[in-house]
Amino acid sequence: MKKILYLICVLWLTNSTAQETFMVNGTHDKNLNFYAFTNATIYTDYKTKIENGTLLIQNGKIIEVGEKKKVKIPKNAVIYDLKGKFIYPSLIDIYSDYGMPEVKKERNNPRFSPQLETNNKGAYNWNQAIKPETEAGKLFTPDEKQADEYRKLGFGTVLTHQKDGIMRGTSAFVTLGDENANLVLLNEKVAAHLAFDKGSSTQDYPGSLMGMIALIRQTYYDVDWMYNNNNITENNLSLKSILDSWELPQIFETKDKLDILRADLIGDEFNTQYIFKGNGDEYQRIAEIKKTEGKLIVPVNFPEAYDVEDPYAAMLISYSDVKHWELAPYNLGVLAKNEFDFAITAADLKDKKSFFINLQKAIKSGLSKENALKALTYNPAQFINQYDKVGSLEKNKLANFIITSDSLFEEKTTIHENWIRGQRYVIDDYNVVDINGDYNVNVNGTVYELSVSGEKEKPAGKIKFFILTDTISVDASISRTGTSISLSFNPSDSIKNNGYVRLAGSINHNGVIWDGNGQLSNGNWVKWSAIRKKNGTKKEDKKLVVADSLIVPTIKYPNMAYGFDSLPKPTTMLIKNTTVWTNENDGILKNTDVLIQDGKITAIGKNLVAEGAEIIDGTNKHLSSGIIDEHSHIAISRGVNECTQAVTAEVSIADVINSDDINIYRQLAGGVVASQLLHGSCNPIGGQSAIIKLKWGHTPEEMKIEDTDGFIKFALGENVKQSNWGSFNTVRFPQTRMGVEQVYYDAFIRAKEYQTKWDAYAKLTPKQKETAEAPRIDLELETLNEILNKERFISCHSYVQSEINMLMHVADSMGFTVNTFTHILEGYKVADKMKKHGAGGSTFSDWWAYKFEVNDAIPYNGAIMHQQGIVTAYNSDDAEMGRRLNQEAAKAVKYGGVSEEEALKFVTLNPAKLLHLDDRMGSIKVGKDACVVIWSDNPLSIYATVEKTIIDGVVYFDRKADQQLYLLNQKEKIAIIEKMIEEKKNGGKTQQPKQKKQTHYHCDTVGE
Amino acid sequence: MSQTSYNNLKFKTMSKTKTILLLTFCFLFSTFHCVAQVETPALPQKGTILLLNGYAHIGNGEVIENSVIAIENGKLTMVADARVVKFDVSKYDTIIKLEGKHVYPGIIAPNSTLGLTEIEAVRASVDEAETGTINPHVRSLIAYNTESKITTTVRSNGVLLGQITPRGGLISGTSSIVQFDAWNWEDAAIKKDDGVHLNWPNMFSRWNGEKNKNYDKSIETITTFFDNSKAYCNIESHPEKNLRFEAMRGIFNGTQTLFIHTNYIKEITEAIAFMKKYELKKMSIVGGYDAWMIAPLLKENNISIVLKRLHSLPERQEDDVYLPYKMPKILFDAGILFCLENAGDMETMGTRNLPFYAGTAVAYGLTKEQALQAITLNTAKILGIDATTGSLEQGKDATLFVSIGDALDMKTNNVVLAFIQGRQIDLNNHQKKLYEKYSEKYKG
Repeated sequence: MKKILYLICVLWLTNSTAQETFMVNGTHDKNLNFYAFTNATIYTDYKTKIENGTLLIQNGKIIEVGEKKKVKIPKNAVIYDLKGKFIYPSLIDIYSDYGMPEVKKERNNPRFSPQLETNNKGAYNWNQAIKPETEAGKLFTPDEKQADEYRKLGFGTVLTHQKDGIMRGTSAFVTLGDENANLVLLNEKVAAHLAFDKGSSTQDYPGSLMGMIALIRQTYYDVDWMYNNNNITENNLSLKSILDSWELPQIFETKDKLDILRADLIGDEFNTQYIFKGNGDEYQRIAEIKKTEGKLIVPVNFPEAYDVEDPYAAMLISYSDVKHWELAPYNLGVLAKNEFDFAITAADLKDKKSFFINLQKAIKSGLSKENALKALTYNPAQFINQYDKVGSLEKNKLANFIITSDSLFEEKTTIHENWIRGQRYVIDDYNVVDINGDYNVNVNGTVYELSVSGEKEKPAGKIKFFILTDTISVDASISRTGTSISLSFNPSDSIKNNGYVRLAGSINHNGVIWDGNGQLSNGNWVKWSAIRKKNGTKKEDKKLVVADSLIVPTIKYPNMAYGFDSLPKPTTMLIKNTTVWTNENDGILKNTDVLIQDGKITAIGKNLVAEGAEIIDGTNKHLSSGIIDEHSHIAISRGVNECTQAVTAEVSIADVINSDDINIYRQLAGGVVASQLLHGSCNPIGGQSAIIKLKWGHTPEEMKIEDTDGFIKFALGENVKQSNWGSFNTVRFPQTRMGVEQVYYDAFIRAKEYQTKWDAYAKLTPKQKETAEAPRIDLELETLNEILNKERFISCHSYVQSEINMLMHVADSMGFTVNTFTHILEGYKVADKMKKHGAGGSTFSDWWAYKFEVNDAIPYNGAIMHQQGIVTAYNSDDAEMGRRLNQEAAKAVKYGGVSEEEALKFVTLNPAKLLHLDDRMGSIKVGKDACVVIWSDNPLSIYATVEKTIIDGVVYFDRKADQQLYLLNQKEKIAIIEKMIEEKKNGGKTQQPKQKKQTHYHCDTVGE
Repeated sequence: MSQTSYNNLKFKTMSKTKTILLLTFCFLFSTFHCVAQVETPALPQKGTILLLNGYAHIGNGEVIENSVIAIENGKLTMVADARVVKFDVSKYDTIIKLEGKHVYPGIIAPNSTLGLTEIEAVRASVDEAETGTINPHVRSLIAYNTESKITTTVRSNGVLLGQITPRGGLISGTSSIVQFDAWNWEDAAIKKDDGVHLNWPNMFSRWNGEKNKNYDKSIETITTFFDNSKAYCNIESHPEKNLRFEAMRGIFNGTQTLFIHTNYIKEITEAIAFMKKYELKKMSIVGGYDAWMIAPLLKENNISIVLKRLHSLPERQEDDVYLPYKMPKILFDAGILFCLENAGDMETMGTRNLPFYAGTAVAYGLTKEQALQAITLNTAKILGIDATTGSLEQGKDATLFVSIGDALDMKTNNVVLAFIQGRQIDLNNHQKKLYEKYSEKYKG
């Protein structure tokens, strides 16, 4: 029965606001009455307040708003007296998937088996994750349950889109009204959406974050190609859709602060400025994000405190997680302080009810209420060009507003009503009086004490009465509808009434007195009344104030263990009286001084003097050039391999450097100053690499070594042919070494043909160009041409001599040189050929036996290659080994008798040569970068420890400072843990600790 | 060329012929003529051998700078200071002058899969983990491959013995201790079926970090098995045998050691409570990443630690960056009996780096002799073979090696001579042969 009533109600509502084009069942019900809201405190926008104002609306729109005396109320107006109450423009959430159909991931092919092509057979993009043709406006259907949830938080409109795929199509701007979709849908195409997330796509490519970045870039180039060409045969609805929505705001969802920087770089390349949907950790890289000039949409999903009363459990949570818990509420305040344009979204909240609780936390942590309101009204409306409709209370705008008991954001404040397009949605009826409190209930002369608590509409009661000296307490069930109330309880131990007392009556005098009739268990009807003795305890009437002296807890760079409070600066250092491994003709110099100024080595000699220099006593210590790791996979975000195709030259590790990897610090502790971050080895032509200095605390862009030659990863052997990938992976070409050769020939021949096409096109006259089909920019082939043009150099993962030989043949015939064979465990078998070809070798000291192709690997490999005149290096491919490469170098002494001086070069000068950095790094020479390590002992000795690691004249690791940092971090963690325990005691939500283990990437790590 | 090798020295120690060898002669690889030959186990020792003037690292913390070491019938019959004791050189058949080179007891690799796994990625060559969860009856010894090409590369760095240990499941199986110069697993065995290996379940999932929902269930499986096998072992013989229960007899009667593989503080604590509950006489923790944090508890219960691979990254972000390197010193100072192991990625081939783990422990606090003890005598004690091996002490097996320099430092580790139970072993290996072969090629 209830359901039917509800339906009728909805129908009535629908009729009352009927859309013009629809059939009407029964009598037309047009309502052009005015509604006037008087005596309220009205915020017409986030910064303008009218005391004692009047808001006048009609037919879903605002007619007038202003001071009471200035607004004339027409006679056909329904008037609501809102004395003591507040009116605000309804809130706007521009990051929602409200009313979108659920997306299901559907596989057409067997599990685990690769899917190389899209499942979408229409005239759309080749990649299933590129879905710009999706139109939220067409998919949208109102959803009353979701709408109700939003309305309770004060939202009136949302921007909704389907959160699926990398290019997600356009969003629609809708109200949260319970009306026909034709009225709810305000604007069907408002913004275009992107994300670093494949969503439901089952296609393999892209399998990594760098693949997603490459795919977005390639897609944009394809759009450009289509836009600038009239003669293209291919029809592509996806590309057309991107073009159509190019002028709309572009909203990019990111997973962390580094993603914002990554997305912005894409935007810069294609002259578009994204609006970033952030994650609440923007405070960690505030200066760099500010430089993007992007607007932000920020959630308030602060992490819950961890349940850490058990000290062992506390060990499971990392320092960075506790630190983020402490700092997350400050994020919005920090954004405001840095004058960001940001909107707040309720997205990402596990429980939408925590929206205001978290906003209040943010306000206590430095966000002004004005900025909070701005971020929920003005900014979101402006971001998506809808300020003409919503975001403030002005004439002709939608009648979207909320009525609150008090100033919004205060803890005690209740949202009473949410009006959307002139329709009223009652959330907490202000006409219903609050009956919480203590009462004396007199039932026919017997007095009981009643205390009422609970929610306004669902009160709960307790009855107390006294027998001799005993106090007895029983539950009383209370129900109320409007002003009528019923109450029943069973004072069974009472002498007078043995059995249920059932009372009914009404609430009078604003809840102070109730009275009516009741029936006792003996069947007698009696009169009863209740008089309030005490009001219920209300939410604390504390004003939210931001203390003037608000101190944001220290943000670390990076915001994790061993992070810096502030970044260290280059200093002038004079290292005195030490043993210097020059890696130059001077060899190893004893009792020598080295001067470092402005990030460079400026003098080497005896008894040097430098004014203002910090003197470091190097007596009994050794100084060497910093270690350079030619082959590393640390500091990479979300995937080291783009395994999904045989050739992925378009992807680049440089796009996905992760400056927040603790392994950067750990490598510094092992004397490493620079690393080549290589793509993995799962395809013949992998991605481009990044060469970084391990400048801990800096951003990815700052870590990159400037003006270096580009490098790219190639790979041969078992990983490439997927030998150890299980029986499902037998589809992708190549599956044999024979196939690998053909992949290379095919790739380079295509690359040459591509260049020929462009060259030919460049020669055309403008007129000829009009009718010719312009070649398409192909990022993969562009990269291969860089190799052919000697602008990019190869580091090729390799083991077995046959294939090493093969690649050199391919290279010779195609006209390029393999710069470095990396791993190259059978290099000793083809050292003469490598020498002739001009390749270097970057190998492991002693790895072998882990797979079939390394069965002939020998620890003498480095020595033989070196003796044959090949530039030989030892690399790590492993975060653990990376921090003791000096020990690995010493193995060249053990296995093959390389001299100590030459052996150290295996991890310093030689990798510098292989990476074309030897003009500035790799030896102790005046004018070179001051990238040096001070060791406690001969650096090749197992007994040597690192005392200082210096990069560009900055001490990034210092043994003593490290120990202090360790102790400091432990203390800081405990202090925050104590705060968490406090939070739990104060009723805050907590979560169970989880043991997070970091993935350490190797060559053959697939996936994120 | 600084490479010195004595691998091809053939000791023809006939009873009446006397060989005196001056170990300063340099043999180049190019002088090798046995390229294609697979290393052959040495014959049992005949005659007597005297090692003169070596710098002896005893393995128990002591050194003898100028030592005299006598070997007879595979045993050490004298280990003494050459400057103090009197001895008659003429009584020995072979005299090897070491001239200050370093003599060490053979290094022991505990918790090893050498001989069980040849090539990690080739399934057919991997014999380390049986299917099922409770497999105490599964014995590593019979699968131990004495022809492994890896073992010969390991022993040429001074690692001469190993505890061959199965992997996987809750109870992986029973290990045995072997020496690395044998025709077959019977010859190889030093101590058959020395211990049973229990993998204590992790309280937190290794994949997503969440609480391991199966933890309680796994513990129940283990306790049910222990309850039942204990009851079963109360009776000597059964008309119907249960192989799994039978395999536990030595654990309950104290002749075998229970090795509990676990790393974290709560799990270690539970494992100790478990040991007490079943009144186990011999137990050791393998792994023990958090052991240093509860050293008093370990000490109180006399629990030894087979310490997780030293060359590891710290597991927690805020851990001391050098924590794994510092653990030996911390455990030593706390008076815990511990030794070093190297299980993990590429563990078989990495066994040859055990001496360098000890070296790293020196860089972070231990003395060289304390560190050596952690790969020799301590290991022998934990494995229960210290009566016969683990140190250079009179009466023990003559299992030792000679390095030109400090064997704990890769820069100077250069093993030129090694004996297992008095037999001088061939230090050549697959890798040295390839080195020689290709060195020849480039000379050409």
